[in-house]
Amino acid sequence: MIKITDLEKYYATEEVRTIALNKLSFSVKTGEFVAVMGPSGCGKSTLLNILGLLDDPDGGSFMFNDIEVSGFNERKRAELRKHNIGFVFQSFNLIDELTVFENVELPLIYTGVKSAERKERVDAVLEKMQIMHRRKHFPQQLSGGQQQRVAVARAVVNNPKLILADEPTGNLDSSNGNEVMGLLTELNEAGTTIIMVTHSEHDAKYSHRIIRMLDGQKVTENILADFKSSERPLTTEGGTLTPAEVK
Amino acid sequence: MIRNYIKIAFRSLKKQPFFTMINMFGLAIGMAGSLLIALYIYDELSYDKMFADADRIYRIDTDIKFGGSERRSSEAAPPMAAALEQDFAKVESTVRFRDQGSILMRNSEESTNSKERGATFVDSTFFKVFGIELLSGDKETALKEANTLVLTKMVAEKHFGKDNAIGKSVVLNNEDTYIVTGVIDDLPKNSFLRDHSVFMAMAGNVASREDIWGSLNFFTFVKLRPDTDLDNFQVQLDGMFEKYMVPWAQKVFPGITKASFEASGNYVRYYTMPLTDIHLYSDRNTEMSSNSSIQNVYILSFIGLFLIFLACVNFMNLSTAHSLKRAKEVGIRKTLGSNKKELIAQFLTESGLISFFSMLIALIITLIALPFFNDLSGKSIALPVANPIFWLVIISVTALLGLLSGSYPAFFMSRFKPVDTLKGGSQNNVGGGAVRSTLVVFQFAVSMILIVGTLVVFEQLKFIQNKDLGFEKEQVLLINDTYAAGDQLRAFKDEVLKLSAVQNATLSNFLPTPSGRSDSSFFQEGDSEQQNAIQMQEWGVDTDYLRTLGITLIAGRDFNKQSVADSSAVIINESVLAYLNLDAQEVLGTRITEANGPNDIVPYTIIGVVKNFHYESMHQNIGAVGLFLNKSSGSMAIKLKSDDYSGVVSSIESLWKGQAPGQPFNYRFMDDAFNSTYDAEQRLGRIFIIFTILSIFIACLGLFGLASFNAQKRTKEIGVRKVLGASVSQITFGLTTDFLKLVGIATAIALPLGWYVMNKWLQDFSYRIEISWQILIFSAVLVIIIAILTVSYQSIKAAIANPVKSLRTE
Ligand SMILES: Nc1ncnc2c1ncn2[C@@H]1O[C@H](COP(=O)(O)OP(=O)(O)O)[C@@H](O)[C@H]1O
Ligand SMILES: [Mg+2]
Repeated sequence: MIKITDLEKYYATEEVRTIALNKLSFSVKTGEFVAVMGPSGCGKSTLLNILGLLDDPDGGSFMFNDIEVSGFNERKRAELRKHNIGFVFQSFNLIDELTVFENVELPLIYTGVKSAERKERVDAVLEKMQIMHRRKHFPQQLSGGQQQRVAVARAVVNNPKLILADEPTGNLDSSNGNEVMGLLTELNEAGTTIIMVTHSEHDAKYSHRIIRMLDGQKVTENILADFKSSERPLTTEGGTLTPAEVK
Repeated sequence: MIRNYIKIAFRSLKKQPFFTMINMFGLAIGMAGSLLIALYIYDELSYDKMFADADRIYRIDTDIKFGGSERRSSEAAPPMAAALEQDFAKVESTVRFRDQGSILMRNSEESTNSKERGATFVDSTFFKVFGIELLSGDKETALKEANTLVLTKMVAEKHFGKDNAIGKSVVLNNEDTYIVTGVIDDLPKNSFLRDHSVFMAMAGNVASREDIWGSLNFFTFVKLRPDTDLDNFQVQLDGMFEKYMVPWAQKVFPGITKASFEASGNYVRYYTMPLTDIHLYSDRNTEMSSNSSIQNVYILSFIGLFLIFLACVNFMNLSTAHSLKRAKEVGIRKTLGSNKKELIAQFLTESGLISFFSMLIALIITLIALPFFNDLSGKSIALPVANPIFWLVIISVTALLGLLSGSYPAFFMSRFKPVDTLKGGSQNNVGGGAVRSTLVVFQFAVSMILIVGTLVVFEQLKFIQNKDLGFEKEQVLLINDTYAAGDQLRAFKDEVLKLSAVQNATLSNFLPTPSGRSDSSFFQEGDSEQQNAIQMQEWGVDTDYLRTLGITLIAGRDFNKQSVADSSAVIINESVLAYLNLDAQEVLGTRITEANGPNDIVPYTIIGVVKNFHYESMHQNIGAVGLFLNKSSGSMAIKLKSDDYSGVVSSIESLWKGQAPGQPFNYRFMDDAFNSTYDAEQRLGRIFIIFTILSIFIACLGLFGLASFNAQKRTKEIGVRKVLGASVSQITFGLTTDFLKLVGIATAIALPLGWYVMNKWLQDFSYRIEISWQILIFSAVLVIIIAILTVSYQSIKAAIANPVKSLRTE
């Protein structure tokens, strides 16, 4: 599903030029659960932003389902992103002014789903995440674990093929953390590809494979579990998207 | 300590030059606008207060209804003053003016006349009542003798140069010789006498000694003793009617009593009008000089307060918006042990500094704008820089505004919890949103009302200018004071008529432009019941009058040059028909009479009826007018064949110089004369425009500030939304509609209110427009477009920002 080769990213501030990603290469198969680990500042978030099509690499190639997306403009990236990728953040990033239900509903609004169907799908996913009883609450009224469950619900409501999680348990205690990890594993078992950044060796054990980074480079890879690939096509509003159409 | 505050304040203001500029400029504009208005209002309120004892001087006004016509006069009968002084001990002194308007004056040793505005007969008590000192001459004797006069310094110097004018003589209107017995200083611009410069001794005015209670033509002022009870004085005034008016009326209408007079719905009522209230509260049929109205003062005070309030609101909104960027600074200061009080002091110092510099800018703006503003408002206001009170006010206002506008941001920021601000978390729960939204609604509602006001004023002016007046005001040249040509006037008219560019010409004292005129009573022949009196203006015209002015006959015929009988003929306007209960055809041949005295009754035959034409401003209904053939020669109206005026005016002028050497040639075009009737409205309209633009500008600055505040506050939210797939246009739209909702609420409040207020204003016109829905829609659309333009910059900026940055808070 994902194949990056010699990926580079620089940040130029007034005095220093930081190399955030330095000729990074690896690939992720559809249905795989990959953990990315490494010390703070080694470029994990930068990597996730590029994989999530939020940011553009400065060099190298990024193949997303065999399509080269590294040169995509903002509009095309957004289009691809909203149909295929879900995000889970360490700090949840829920919108405080919206209720649980409305937060989860947002991605569906942006992909143009009709309101009746939205309600059905949001309710279904809230049910699955066991926070249905909190649907009218505002984020501030929930515990951290509950907020992260809402964030996961929001990430999956659109049935994305890929979930990117940046330290999803970083702000949670261990029991809440385990709960979230359970959810992610469930999603992965149902076929969703997951790439997760974490500092916790415990959490990383939930994955099939751990990629260890240092200073923008891959250091090692540990394969933890067997994984059998089964490629699924990308979709957009119009249904199946072939590589030719995206360009 | 304070020096430290100022040092840090300076630094933080310098660190954010854009924000500081917007804040300072917005506040300065608001201050300058309000300052101009304050100066204007201060001037309006100062009228006639400079006279000694101004607080106990009153004018005697008269309301009269008689013969179906009502008059609200600022004048009283000639014997009123003497009667009051004689009957009431509380009356300390009185003075009367008999206004003559403009006169021609020349030094008796020269032959060239010049026109002097504002000549009036006045009682010799003038100096005593108003406390006016003479520059030269003796105030005890100056105006005692007939044919003596007192001049203002300006007029005296014009005719006599630097020489002492006392004892010299002047000739008025080429007829009467007067001796100058006194010179006074020019009268203050903010006094009811501002247009007066020639004061002639009342002793020379025959009418002033007549015992006629029925004619109201003397402006009468009384000075009451300090302890006078006004209610009591009013009761005594109420008795004047029965004591003097009724006995006099019985001589003209035998058998009339107070009861019978009042039974037929008539009345005569006397009032006191405080001297210092005249300028703002008096609105009577004739006034010694044009007045303003307290309504304008209220409207302007409101606009002034609104401007300054708007500017403060902006300051608050911009500062709170900006405070988010400083939340971290506050957090650090607090963790380092700074307490709330010190933080508040720090922020107030900053707002105080901004307020101070804004005031400096405002003073400069005011200084630059004053000449234009004076032009606009017809005043001559100057910054009272020599007045310490002025500076005291300026300094206190600066401090107050700094305090007011700084207090909200200061308390708002000092409340930040250090833990939250350092985490960057408090951005999501800053309070006061409802307050800010309300302020925006308020700002835009008032801006919209001002726009509606401006449009209505100009629509009404356009309506007036285009209204069919019933006569042709275009291509008509008016020459004033033609009587100065004396016997040569006929010859002059004949010569003018020979000019190829001239179509027609007429001589008359009465032209259809507003001026002080009064009604006379007529009766249908054989009827002398006073309740059937026809109150009608008596206009002396010549046989060319209708033709020259293009007034339409709807029945009967015009005057005939050959017919001697036409000297006792009258042409009436449609308004007269109502008195006679006849239609235009039936009325022809009807005879009406005018009673000049008990045994002097003159009959006239109605030979024609003309379509009603407007001769007063549109504020008034068209009253009854009768046109009579007689030699009145005050002005000449010349109808030109084309509107190519080049050459014509100078040819006419040279004809005038030939026939009336040494006499001033005063001309103007009739449509200009007409337009100047609406000077007050034009002025109001222009003032409206300026302050409307100012208030919209300030409101936009505020909206801009709020939009940037909002965009900042919502950066994280916008980032999240973009990650979830929102497009730039969706986010821009979302941010913009939030504000448009506020503007929408403002519209809902402003349109009905604006409609209501302006309808009130229009009530003052007898002939007026209906406020069209287009005006309302246009105002709303204009404001909405301006709001969208203002907000969209910030919205788009926020929407295109890369979400990665805004989410990088971990
Ligand atoms: N917007 C940015 N501007 C400048 N430097 C950045 C920016 N984002 C990240 N960096 C730098 O890039 C490097 C990688 O950062 P990041 O990907 O956030 O690391 P991690 O998530 O592994 O802690 C760091 O040295 C960081 O300082
Ligand atoms: Mg990171």
